Amino acid sequence: MKRELLASSVAAVLVAAAAATASVSIQSTTVLAKAISGCAPSQLHLYRAGQLIVATDAPAYTPWFEKNQPRNGKGYEGAVAYAVAKALGFKQSQVHWTIESFDSSYAPGPKTFDFDINEITITAARAKAVTFSEGYYNDRQALITYKGSPLVTAHSPSQLKTYKYGDQVGTTSLAYIEQQIQPTQTPAVYNNPNDAVSALSDRTIQGFVTDAPTAQYMASSGEVKHGVVVGQFPSNDQAYGLLFHKGNPLVSCVNRAITQLKNNGTLTRLQKKWLGIYTSIPTIQP
Amino acid sequence: MTSDPGRFDDSPLLVAGGPPSNSLGGGRRHSKLQGRRAVAVSVASSVVLLGVLAALFFFAPGSAQVRQTFFNIPDARTAFLGDPRGGIFSELDALLINIELFLTAEVLILILAMVIALIRQLTGPVTFPLRMIAIAYTDFFRGVPLLLVVYAIGFGVPALNLAGVSTQPVWVYGLAALVLSYSAYVSEVYRAGIDSVHPSQVAAARSLGLSHGQAMRSVVIPQAVRRVIPPLLNDFISLQKDTALVAVLGIIEVNRAAGIVSSTDFNYTGYTVGAFLFLLLTVPMARFTDWLIARDRRRRQAGVAH
Repeated sequence: MKRELLASSVAAVLVAAAAATASVSIQSTTVLAKAISGCAPSQLHLYRAGQLIVATDAPAYTPWFEKNQPRNGKGYEGAVAYAVAKALGFKQSQVHWTIESFDSSYAPGPKTFDFDINEITITAARAKAVTFSEGYYNDRQALITYKGSPLVTAHSPSQLKTYKYGDQVGTTSLAYIEQQIQPTQTPAVYNNPNDAVSALSDRTIQGFVTDAPTAQYMASSGEVKHGVVVGQFPSNDQAYGLLFHKGNPLVSCVNRAITQLKNNGTLTRLQKKWLGIYTSIPTIQP
Repeated sequence: MTSDPGRFDDSPLLVAGGPPSNSLGGGRRHSKLQGRRAVAVSVASSVVLLGVLAALFFFAPGSAQVRQTFFNIPDARTAFLGDPRGGIFSELDALLINIELFLTAEVLILILAMVIALIRQLTGPVTFPLRMIAIAYTDFFRGVPLLLVVYAIGFGVPALNLAGVSTQPVWVYGLAALVLSYSAYVSEVYRAGIDSVHPSQVAAARSLGLSHGQAMRSVVIPQAVRRVIPPLLNDFISLQKDTALVAVLGIIEVNRAAGIVSSTDFNYTGYTVGAFLFLLLTVPMARFTDWLIARDRRRRQAGVAH
């Protein structure tokens, strides 16, 4: 009796394993079959033939990357870069990373990378200087403060106007603060998120406005000691795009790759995986 | 002949030492012709040089894009006047912040630096600790880069949570960092000036019955300060640029405003406007310094035939 039970359970496991392998192989062949026509690696306009050179800034912040190592393919933007590369038919080993500071990424002249992925918001003014891909993430601004700050409880639209805000230079947060919140005190502008966190800890500013995933990461990781995310603001139709030098023909193939990733749910899956816990915060009105 | 020094500095006339004085009329006409020729040559060579540079700039392959990126007129207007709804701050308003900072800082620096320089001039063993403090101060603040001092004071002092001291508005910390750092340099400039006054001045003052302190105050320091006005003005011009460092504390001064414009529109014209604004401040100061030097030289060498 026991031996029969053992045999049938082993058989069941084997059948399940076989079915799983079969479905996986069917899935992978389905993905391979959807290679984009005219966009094979050999047909693309690349900085260096046979390699996809992706740029980002240093340090590469969580949750967009993990452990400041874009190569590990973790973090939302790390994963998106490798997903785009895979959709175009590149092997993982063909993807190379390079460092490009945000300030020089839009300098005129030829670039030393194929595209730059660095939480760069697409705007019409910026599109005059560089070429953007389609959006791969719709960002929302959020507000983080320290425990015990009046912001935690008093954040109605009229109350929001009275606080001193901080933001990082180069982000669209400053425009958001000025347009939507319209505070009475001039906001402070910092070089990088670390300085803003210091200012928040020093109580020099009362609230720091940045994108929702970054804000939530700062609070949950303890970067802002006893940080509290007050909430995220409503969507403002702004999206992050990949940055190419002006007129780079590579963008058309990359756009088709992004469309494919949107349609087959990859982008949504990656967002849930890497940003899910960072975006489940309440909405507040500016 | 040198009643207007500097006008024909590179004229062959002055280098040779003067026209031949066989006859006054011939000498003057000759010198006038030589002068005119010198002017023509210098104008022509300047035009050629500028022309070559302009040609290099305009006919370089990437010239159109560089002009669009660095010299874009609509962006220059936005940068200069600001566009608050677009998150862009006026560089003109931001410049006022820089001006307020360096004017206030300069006054405090001149006073603090003089105090330190005088402390270092003190003699006698009883003032030894004071001199050591002054020496340590100048060594430290000349050694540590100003940016680190700004960070340390701007982020460190508020974090200390000292009553009163830690809750000042941010510009106070920026100002303190500038004053502490620059006073170290300027005190050395003062010291050089004081040392350059001949010891016979002090000896003469003491022999007239003035005490050391009175001798310093009435005889040495006025001479010393007059001698070091050019390097002091030099440090002042340098201070004007270094006010940009307070931007790391969140203050929107000119370079930060330029950076905001630049990253919002992906265009570097904001920096060009900022550079132009700083030139507007610096060039008159530099010409004023030259004039002061020339006037001082004239006064000191009055009566000397040359």
